[in-house]
Amino acid sequence: MELLKKYPKLFQWLFLLVVFFALCFAIDVPETYKFIRGQAEFVKDPNQSTYIIFGKEVRYYAFDNFWRLPPLLGWLPIWVNDSLFFLLNEWMPMEFWNEDTQEYKTRPLVLQITRNITAFMTFLIEFIREILLGGVETVVAFTSWDWLDKNPWAELPGLPWTIVAAGAAILGYKLSGKGLAIFAGLIMIYISVFGQWKPSMQTLSFILVAAPLSFIFGLCLGIMAYKSKRVEKALYPILLVMQTMPQYAVLVPAMVLFGIGDHAAVIITMVVAIPPMILLTILGLRAVPSEVIEAGKMSGCTNWQLMFKVLIPTARRDILIGVNQVIMVCFSMAVIAAFIGAKGLGWNLLLALNQLNIGLALEAGLCISLIAILLDKMSLAWANKQTDYFGNLTFFQRYKNTLFFAGAVLIGVILAYVGSFLFKDSFNYFNEVPHNKGISTADFWNKGVDWIWDTFFQTLKIFNTWLITEVLQPMRALYLRMPAVATLVLVVGAGYIVGGIRSAFTVGGLALFIALSPWWDRALVTAYMATFGVIASCIIGLTVGTLCQQNKYTTNFMLAVCDIFQTFPSFVYLIPVMMLFGVTDTSVLIAVIVYATIPATRYTIEGLRSVPTALHDAATMSGVTKLQRLINIEFPVALPHIMLGVNQTIVFALFMVIIGAFIGTEDLGQYILKALSDKKGGGKGLILGICVAFIALIFDNLIRTWVEKRKKHLGIA
Amino acid sequence: MLQNRYLNKLKELPESVRQFGGLVVLTAIVILSFGILNIFWGGGDELIRKMKLEEERIAKEKKLNELISKLPSGILVTFDGTEKYKLTDELYEAVCNATELIPQRAIMAAHFLNYEAYELYTINGNKIDDTFVKWDEDKNKCFAGYTVSGNNVGVNKSAIVSGEVLSFLSTGIDTRVYFIKNF
Repeated sequence: MELLKKYPKLFQWLFLLVVFFALCFAIDVPETYKFIRGQAEFVKDPNQSTYIIFGKEVRYYAFDNFWRLPPLLGWLPIWVNDSLFFLLNEWMPMEFWNEDTQEYKTRPLVLQITRNITAFMTFLIEFIREILLGGVETVVAFTSWDWLDKNPWAELPGLPWTIVAAGAAILGYKLSGKGLAIFAGLIMIYISVFGQWKPSMQTLSFILVAAPLSFIFGLCLGIMAYKSKRVEKALYPILLVMQTMPQYAVLVPAMVLFGIGDHAAVIITMVVAIPPMILLTILGLRAVPSEVIEAGKMSGCTNWQLMFKVLIPTARRDILIGVNQVIMVCFSMAVIAAFIGAKGLGWNLLLALNQLNIGLALEAGLCISLIAILLDKMSLAWANKQTDYFGNLTFFQRYKNTLFFAGAVLIGVILAYVGSFLFKDSFNYFNEVPHNKGISTADFWNKGVDWIWDTFFQTLKIFNTWLITEVLQPMRALYLRMPAVATLVLVVGAGYIVGGIRSAFTVGGLALFIALSPWWDRALVTAYMATFGVIASCIIGLTVGTLCQQNKYTTNFMLAVCDIFQTFPSFVYLIPVMMLFGVTDTSVLIAVIVYATIPATRYTIEGLRSVPTALHDAATMSGVTKLQRLINIEFPVALPHIMLGVNQTIVFALFMVIIGAFIGTEDLGQYILKALSDKKGGGKGLILGICVAFIALIFDNLIRTWVEKRKKHLGIA
Repeated sequence: MLQNRYLNKLKELPESVRQFGGLVVLTAIVILSFGILNIFWGGGDELIRKMKLEEERIAKEKKLNELISKLPSGILVTFDGTEKYKLTDELYEAVCNATELIPQRAIMAAHFLNYEAYELYTINGNKIDDTFVKWDEDKNKCFAGYTVSGNNVGVNKSAIVSGEVLSFLSTGIDTRVYFIKNF
């Protein structure tokens, strides 16, 4: 009893593990259980059991419930899908005026709304695309084809690449000085010279529509949540799920509602980009000191003036960090959105990966990454830039950047005009370097891949076989061997020990949802892949982070590396691993490890940095060695922060595991990918996405609750 | 009163013991819930029975397929006096059990001796409803047959044609009924 009082948590964990393993050993694998057989929804078999809920028939293989629960939520994806179909095709038919046929046409309301949104988005994308690349669609939208035939001068010519490069350099200079200006200019020249101009501008055009719209919606919803507790409470669970849901999963229902193409890609990007904007707006507005608000009120501000003249300008930095996040999410979606037909670099990258043309994929991936890094640096510079309200500037000083840009436009136009004579018989390279006409390094990289395969084939094969047969397959078998009851007991028990009864019910509910869905086995495979990735990432991240943190320069260097790696769209990570390991599970897992190591390293460094210097001094004065200080003082104090990094690592790992389905894993991601090509896949995609989000939320809840308690215990809350 | 006393006793217990007790109770509740769910939704035994039957059927089918693959291609007969491959009694039964198809040739041949079936077959657009090939344990013979009806053209009549299978056709991949003796 005394021991129990002294180490209560240890005994609780011991009891839980004993019960878990006892259940695992007590419940045998049913004779009829096979991994693939567990997935019943695609096959019709006389051995299946069925039940009907809400008129939907669900087929499944019935096992002892202690082993696997019946998919009592199997009707949900079918119901969601049917509801979407009903909304789109049957609900509230109304008469709408059709401009093309000049008559009224009966259409369901939702279908009409989605088609109007689609038309609006398509127009915006075309408009920006034609400014950047030229075209006729926008002019025709306001006039007609006949009018354009009579006035061929009205065709939009598109901006020469020289003007865009100069514009980017001038913007970089205005935001952060010479360094960013040179960087921006060089990136634009690189894109053009390497013949990636057109796809880059196509990607940029859809981001230039998605990012501002996400910013506006995110800001408005953030302000509403700040003003009203009810709105915040309503938004909170949606934001939580959206932050942990793989972007892949959102593609499927959006495709059902909005079809495929650039417009659908913009909408889906907005759905993913709005949540971080809302969160950062709320965070920024909450951080405004009460003195500032009171000063505003005392000056006689109305609510409107208080918001737009006091609160938002004060929270400017956080809101602009939100803009930065929106841009980054937009870029990460550039490749994923290509699955539903978004044109641009993402599309080229996907095409190249499909053909296993690593060289071409690398070129497209490098371009996306460079533009993402550039926009990240620019938006961060914008966020950190202070407005000079009191400067007594001359006209030239005030408008020098605008004047330089006007000059650049003039020179660019003249160059393009000269180019039209100079390159009369070929392409006007001063206007645009066409795709596949620029310098290409694809052959070099492809030969490099061949060389790697020729030289290291045996070594790679041995490593690959060892990893798959000795580590991955046994680990997978162990996960699949867990009876449902044992897993639920473990999850609920962990919730209870970490956060009490409330936490137990929350994580238990989330796990039960997955257990009652038809994809429990796949969820276990997803969890096994993520677990492997998280363990490896945490070991690497903790070691690298701790070592780098010992020195100021290495710390800054490693944080800069993390910054750069974090801006890469997740798909880019697949390219080098496919180069080395081909299309195998090993490739996915190594991509997971590389991708998920970033937050583990970053949070370790930041956690160790956050240890108060007073503690360092006190420890040094007590005569402890550097290692003792690290183990006994710095790690325990930094652990809550490091655990937040582990939380992020789990989310990153899950995202990458789902993207790994593209290579051919057997987890939930594979089903999401299948749902993408299924006519009735909307409901499935959504519920599968929710399952992945719930796996992440279980860990999120446990870790956050533990961190809060630990911080309170350490007095740093 | 008694309840209050027990509650007070529980409240007086140290925090660590109460927490441990809570964990034990929660674990028991989860396991119990699974037990209750098992009463309503557990279907393991029935599935095992069904799966075993299915596995037996698959094993039997596999064995028959192996046997068929060893047979020569061409016509297999059950009677003496022809140059065709004559099946032994054991093989005859095995081939009968492995055969599922009754091709057009065998159907047309059987029609000649059943005028009603022939007429229905002509007016319904050459459609056959059901076919069967089965081994008759009592007679030690293989029987095959089919049903023809005029339901699809509004004729409320049907005819069953059946008879002893006198020969099979072996294609090397499967076996088919070659001749039905329906007289």
